[in-house]
Amino acid sequence: MNTGRAHMILMLVTLAAVGLSVSLWTRSAAGRLAESRGKAAPEVATASASDMNYCTGDLKVILKRVLTSCGLVSGGSSRGCQPLQARQVASMSGGDFNALFAPLSGRAAILQFDRDSSDLDQSAVELLEKSFADRRGASYFFVVSRASPEGSVEHNRDLSHRRGSIVLDAIKAKFQDPDIDQEVGLLWLGEEFAQLDQQFCQWQRSRSSEPCNSADLNRSSFIAWIDCRL
Amino acid sequence: MFRPEMPNPDSGHPQDSHATPRKTLIVFAAFALVGVVFAGVSSYDFIAHLDRQVHAITCSIVPGLAAPDANGSSGCHAVLMSPYSSVLRDFTWGGLPIALPALGVFAFLLFRAVDLLLRRKMSRRETSFTVAAALLPVLTSLVYAIISATRIGTFCKVCIGIYVSSLGVLVTAVVAHVLTPPPTTAAGPAKGSLLGLWGFYFVEGLAMVALPVLLYLVLKPAYPDSLLQTSGLRHAEDKYGVMIDLPGAGRVPAVEVLDPLCPACKAFSERLAVSDLAGDLQVKLVLFPLDKECNWMVGESLHPGACAVSEAMLCAGDKARDVLAWAFENQAQLRTLGVSQAAVYARIKQDFPSLAGCVGGAVVRARINKSLRWIVANSLPVLTPQLFVRNQKIPDEDTDLGLDYVLSRMLASTGEVRR
Repeated sequence: MNTGRAHMILMLVTLAAVGLSVSLWTRSAAGRLAESRGKAAPEVATASASDMNYCTGDLKVILKRVLTSCGLVSGGSSRGCQPLQARQVASMSGGDFNALFAPLSGRAAILQFDRDSSDLDQSAVELLEKSFADRRGASYFFVVSRASPEGSVEHNRDLSHRRGSIVLDAIKAKFQDPDIDQEVGLLWLGEEFAQLDQQFCQWQRSRSSEPCNSADLNRSSFIAWIDCRL
Repeated sequence: MFRPEMPNPDSGHPQDSHATPRKTLIVFAAFALVGVVFAGVSSYDFIAHLDRQVHAITCSIVPGLAAPDANGSSGCHAVLMSPYSSVLRDFTWGGLPIALPALGVFAFLLFRAVDLLLRRKMSRRETSFTVAAALLPVLTSLVYAIISATRIGTFCKVCIGIYVSSLGVLVTAVVAHVLTPPPTTAAGPAKGSLLGLWGFYFVEGLAMVALPVLLYLVLKPAYPDSLLQTSGLRHAEDKYGVMIDLPGAGRVPAVEVLDPLCPACKAFSERLAVSDLAGDLQVKLVLFPLDKECNWMVGESLHPGACAVSEAMLCAGDKARDVLAWAFENQAQLRTLGVSQAAVYARIKQDFPSLAGCVGGAVVRARINKSLRWIVANSLPVLTPQLFVRNQKIPDEDTDLGLDYVLSRMLASTGEVRR
């Protein structure tokens, strides 16, 4: 064969091989792209707050009532629930109210105070900061303050109010969270409603090394993150 | 038109007396063929990604023998996804893969070898052009080997195959040229005819490179504007004070959501950093550690230790970028340590003693939580990395090969592009 002709044929064959390969690869990718556009995109989880198993429908109803009445859900200016309101919105006995928090035994903590005092000691501050920092995906933080039955009802109501407020102030000062008014539910129960019984001695307490009785337990602020979405 | 040089009794020599250059040419052809295979494999892997999906890629000195890299852990993947795997990235989605012209060059060299072998005689005019043509892949390989070593930090086996092929064709081309005896006539070929012959061959080589490039550009899928209509940020403001400013003089606000121990985030940040368009952005980082130690949205830690490292970044304040660079540098080791949080904290305290009093503390843990709440408030998908430019998300499929193209489109649409 003429060398010049062989050269040209060889050139064309090489060009064709390269061109064909690239064409096939490119058209194949274009075909797959067109096909994929007709399909639904693979589902990817969307970031959301926690909604744990214990958040039953009944619990959410109660939570919503409490949170709404305490000014959290509506975002109203008034916030915090007084003992009478707490009893009304919960529409349940003190025992049932405390039972609501039973699933939170691993998340809750009890900050204990001296008798007739609303000062947080060092161990209470540390436990408060540790508990508040361990928020995970929770949406609401409950502070439920109480007083032991010594003294008058009015005095204990004020005392539990001061205990709750001091906890809230400590959180605000330490964490400077702009959402704090929308996420911290504050209830002060005095001695009138849902006193803690002896079984709560087993829960995480700021004075866990000290003996525990019912009176000690109720000179306290019960704190817990609630992992429920409303 | 110039015709290729024909056997000429006056300037050539009988083939039988030049068996050695012919044998050398056969080796040259073998190296060129190997180059065609490696450049073809590399081109194929790149082009496969034009469908904007994830693919396993070939990463073996002997293509086809080893299992493809399906998880992106190989050097081949790092090189393929690096900004150096293609050019003209802001002109066309993904850019033009470097391997494609390489395929054309090796195909041309193979063609040259076979063409010369088919002739009865060879002359130095022919072999000298082959030497010149073989210089191109060697120089390109040299540049890319340096880039791999200094910029990417890893080598890809397929690329090494191309480097070896390039060196092989040059060496054998030189040997074939040296072994080809000079013309016996006193007067060599006229200078004009030599240049004309070289010009003809050059045009042939150009056609061999241009054809695959043009076919690729013409046939590759178009990128419709509708793909840029992505969801945006619902609450872009930094009300929790958790965003980390990256230094930069850009004017276009951008938010990058990342996990400091996520390999894809590292690769993405590197791509963004070397992009010409990065200078137009004023980037803020939001940390999204995919580590169950602090992130309730993941059942298992995808990047163990990421929570502790994220704390270190927030603790570092304006030195956060140094911590991020350190985390990127030591990602694999930190993820291994991450099985034990205490071990990660110890490593952080060892390398950044000034952060010892901050990491692990309640305040910084609360800040990490706020960072995650910012993610929740914006209902972002649980994945990293994510980039928002002017609150509009760069599609996830465009954060690698298509980054420069999509970024240039987004900036152009707001009139912010500099060029």
